[in-house]
Amino acid sequence: MASDGVLLEATGITKVFGGVRAVDDVSLQVREGTIHALIGPNGAGKTTFFNAISGFAFPERGRVTFRGTDVTRLVNWRRIAMGMGRTFQTPSIFPELSVDANIRLGVSAHAKQAFRLRAPRGEAKAAVDGRVDELLGFVNLIAQRDRPLAELAHGSQRLCEIAMSLSTDPVLVLLDEPMAGLAEAETDRIIGVIRDLRVRLGLTVLFVEHNMRVVLSLADRITVLDRGKLLAEGTPAEIAANEAVRSAYLGEGVLDHV
Amino acid sequence: MTARKELLLSAAVVVLFAFGPWISPLMHLDVSIVSGVLVIAIAVMSVNLLLGYTGLPAFGNAAYFGLGSYGAALSVKYFQVHFAEAIVIGTVAGLLGGLILAPFLLRRRGIYFGLLSIAFGQVFYFIAYRYTDVTGGEDGMQVPRPLFVLANAHATVSDFGFYYVALAFFVIAVIAFRTIVRSPFGRTLIAIRQNEPRVRYLGLNTDRFIFVALLISSTMAGLSGALSGLLINFAFPLQLDWHQSGYFVLSMILGGAGTVWGSLVGAFIYVIGNDIISTITSWWQIFLGALFVACVLFFPRGILGTLQALGRRAPQAFGDDDDDDHAAFDPHAVPEAGRGV
Repeated sequence: MASDGVLLEATGITKVFGGVRAVDDVSLQVREGTIHALIGPNGAGKTTFFNAISGFAFPERGRVTFRGTDVTRLVNWRRIAMGMGRTFQTPSIFPELSVDANIRLGVSAHAKQAFRLRAPRGEAKAAVDGRVDELLGFVNLIAQRDRPLAELAHGSQRLCEIAMSLSTDPVLVLLDEPMAGLAEAETDRIIGVIRDLRVRLGLTVLFVEHNMRVVLSLADRITVLDRGKLLAEGTPAEIAANEAVRSAYLGEGVLDHV
Repeated sequence: MTARKELLLSAAVVVLFAFGPWISPLMHLDVSIVSGVLVIAIAVMSVNLLLGYTGLPAFGNAAYFGLGSYGAALSVKYFQVHFAEAIVIGTVAGLLGGLILAPFLLRRRGIYFGLLSIAFGQVFYFIAYRYTDVTGGEDGMQVPRPLFVLANAHATVSDFGFYYVALAFFVIAVIAFRTIVRSPFGRTLIAIRQNEPRVRYLGLNTDRFIFVALLISSTMAGLSGALSGLLINFAFPLQLDWHQSGYFVLSMILGGAGTVWGSLVGAFIYVIGNDIISTITSWWQIFLGALFVACVLFFPRGILGTLQALGRRAPQAFGDDDDDDHAAFDPHAVPEAGRGV
């Protein structure tokens, strides 16, 4: 692990889609134990940047370092093994399976049980069961554990996806717009869970978010992107006071109540 | 279905087939035709593992099937191997075919996987078609059924005896197939079909799972091809052709993709239908085509998949049902758009 407490470092990330620089020379450092928000107006390149970090699509230029290792060209599943977890804007889940089965898949994969012909027994099974219960408890979905995920509310699906991303024991969790499409009450529930990621589990979080109320109540550090470029970085107070940020957001009025 | 009920039903099917040589004359069927059902069912299973469970369009499994048939026929013709050896050689030929093609197919998904599978199959087809000196070219090669040799005794394998060889291999194949698809490995294959990016983001190298699935599938297809060639004493290029692959896919969808026994149901309809209707009219493929269209439109889960879904809806089917055959593949489903690197 990097000695200066930097868990993830992205330097000069550039990603081009057919001549358009969706992300243009963006750098960012995520320090261990922080909740770091990535914000910006629509089309700012937040998800594209996220994809470069998590190995969903490699950047054309730039470098991603995770836990002191260069992972720029590392396939996504190896990053997971290194301690990254990720959720997607549209929950990436197995809707036909139950909540329990969804989480169990991840726990079994992490326990190296997925490539086997025999289901775990005895101690191995107990370990998997225990971990599944723990994760279900963490996101408070124990009561719904046997229901197919497709039947549950959007917010519960997202909570289940967060639990799945935790099943591989990550140190860094990447959440892509965890509040997208959620009602106010569901949003509060997820805010609580994200806070718990750090407080109870001691994890580092990097999340993309539109909702300024959420960002200001959760984040220690905020990075602002605009039209593919880095616009500002700082504490919530600094960002709220930043003129460039205010003007980038002006049309959307999101900072007006800050 | 409870585990007990399933075991009883499976046992009943096997017992029924054990009396095949006595039942088939009642249906005016040659026992070899029923052997053909059992043998083709193994090839349909091989497609089912890739397409029905893992979601990979296995449109070229005839390549491994034909390799199995030619492997057996060539080794009998040129090396005078015995019956059991010919089966082993044919099966290994299928596996080797899988080993050769897997590196090329491994990273492909969706339609690219399907097209590449067809293309590779056609390569084998043209080799068999053109390499007349060795393979007999378009006419194929007729090979007498090799002797069965055990210790110092040897015997010819009659059609009656062959039936039980086919049944034995079919039972082994079903048990192996069921074990695989219900294992954690098989569950992961189903998960790959449902949402591959998420499986990768659970830290699993999905290519590794697909590689093993490809090898299992090509081995099963090779076994089926070897038995098929020995059954009809004949290896011919059309066994490698993409039409043959298409019949396997069709049979799988008719029977029930993503179900263990659907492959047998599909193979039964295909082989028996071929035999009965083709003696009545040379247009029998139109009937098969119409049946297929009706199936995709009205029973996308196939015959067995639909029956199982009905069974699940019935109240008595609840309880300790472990929901295993939820693997049903839906031809209407829209493929996943973006996949990770």
